[in-house]
Amino acid sequence: MSRTIKNYVNGEWLESEASEFIPVHNPATCELLATCPDSTAGDVARAVQAAKDGFEEWRSTPVLNRAQYMHHFKVLVEDNFEEISQIVVKEHGKTLDEARGEVRRGIESIDFAMSAPVLMRSDGLEDISSGIDETTVRQPAGVFAAITPFNFPFMVPLWFLPTAIACGNTFILKPSPQTPLSAELLFELLDELDLPEGVVNLVHGGVPAATALMEHPDVTGVSFVGSSPVARIIYETCTRNGKRVQAQGGAKNYIAVMPNANIEASVRNILGAAYGCAGQRCLAAAVAVGVGDAYDQLKDELAKQTLNLKVGYGLDETTQMGTVISGAAKERIEAMIAQSAAEGAEVVVDGRGFSVDGYENGSWVGPTLIANVQPQTSMATEEVFGPVLALMKADDFEDAVEMINDSRYGNAASIFTDSGKHAREFKYSVNAGNIGVNIGVAAPSASFPFGGQKDSFFGDLHGQGMDSIEFYTERKIVIERWV
Amino acid sequence: MSSLNTFGAVLSYAIGLEARLRDYYVSGGQTDRAQAADKRRKKLERARRENVVEITLEPIEGLDEADYAFDLDDRSESGQAAAEALAARFYQDAAPKINVRAAQRALEQCGREHARLADRK
Repeated sequence: MSRTIKNYVNGEWLESEASEFIPVHNPATCELLATCPDSTAGDVARAVQAAKDGFEEWRSTPVLNRAQYMHHFKVLVEDNFEEISQIVVKEHGKTLDEARGEVRRGIESIDFAMSAPVLMRSDGLEDISSGIDETTVRQPAGVFAAITPFNFPFMVPLWFLPTAIACGNTFILKPSPQTPLSAELLFELLDELDLPEGVVNLVHGGVPAATALMEHPDVTGVSFVGSSPVARIIYETCTRNGKRVQAQGGAKNYIAVMPNANIEASVRNILGAAYGCAGQRCLAAAVAVGVGDAYDQLKDELAKQTLNLKVGYGLDETTQMGTVISGAAKERIEAMIAQSAAEGAEVVVDGRGFSVDGYENGSWVGPTLIANVQPQTSMATEEVFGPVLALMKADDFEDAVEMINDSRYGNAASIFTDSGKHAREFKYSVNAGNIGVNIGVAAPSASFPFGGQKDSFFGDLHGQGMDSIEFYTERKIVIERWV
Repeated sequence: MSSLNTFGAVLSYAIGLEARLRDYYVSGGQTDRAQAADKRRKKLERARRENVVEITLEPIEGLDEADYAFDLDDRSESGQAAAEALAARFYQDAAPKINVRAAQRALEQCGREHARLADRK
């Protein structure tokens, strides 16, 4: 009998009124870890009411005190670092190093939020007219919510929650029902902070809970990370309901490899970019573009190094790539590989039908390399969200840039080169929100906004960095005259 | 295939090694050396926690724990020197494989400490 996880509302763990429950499996071992309630609009209403009731007390808590909570929160996460990492592995299937890296990046977001006393400061001007002064103040804006994905179950909630509450807002998290246990542990740590009631709330579930959050009149803004079709729906629903919204969508990230690049070293980094988290990240390298003579070398070196990757259960520290999230994901990814082959591409390393001794029923897809991928085919245009790297050939630098800019996505793009000229031109002309130069995963650190353009982002202000301070605060202009 | 093929595998092996050396010296009544080993273990745990950089996780090649067969039943002076020398060699081999400078530095420091202990009669 598995346990059913609870929501966290108004400082208490509460059973959901849900009648539907979603099983949470370890995708490697198939062990049933827990069941997740498909929370209702009623559950959401209780969480929103708690957040609304808690807002006035929290917003008047001095920002230095709010920052102190973040200091204590960071210590708790550091103290529980290994336990958190292991839970991420168990419910997601990634490797232990990847899980540790995720927790580390989550901590960076807490670090950023600690700076709220500096980041919330504004400016002013004396004597805009005789004896009249004008100043700007930043104030918290109310109740915020985040709807977060399965692929970084601990880190992505921390892109939003620490900054939102450090700025004086109250918060509701709705994590993915596929990976709710990292969020549960996150809230067990938050519970230890003894925050005032209603400051942080957790509602598990799927579409009904997400819809209720987007439509609730007392929710000021919503952050979302997920696929592009859903991001578009989130954006449209939230804007229709008068909310602030930042909706980060999917991607098809290209990596251009120039003939002057160090191919062996580049491939070592590209492997992590393509197959890290089994390709289930919005910054995953999806297409490697070999420019001119680089194509053949790149193909050979990618094939060689891809075959050497050790796939297995993430808790084994020698594992270099873990599972995909579910059997359904495995089926979908394998179908996309088959479709690409049917379209004429060459499956150089085939991860279909992969199995790992001792974990035969796990959701395995081996690292897959597909060469001779042509523009406009499915493998060049559709997001796979799995460990599949497409290889395309460009005649020259300009041809590679054109291929990249043809994509309807614009999350990230990278170039591997020894040429400063090409690097500069790439940064200048490629239409993507995050650019890597000799880095395959162009992941912004917490003090920079997480970029994203075209169908990879819907909204105005991105997550992280100063954008997040703008998103979570309202600016008020004060004009004063004393006579 | 090398068994120490990831950032975590290398650091975790080092952490385990220092724990084994701590226990080795505790059972031999050498408190100072046991405390030093435990201090290194904590330093390495911190290095593993704070220096795992998701965007530069890359496969590691050419490092295998089978190449470091410690005999921690030999408590003689020469046995201790051999264990320390082998630990020093492990750290010297491992440090260049790590692509995060702060973690590499922690491994180098451990290697230097073990080399000094190996030379001390």
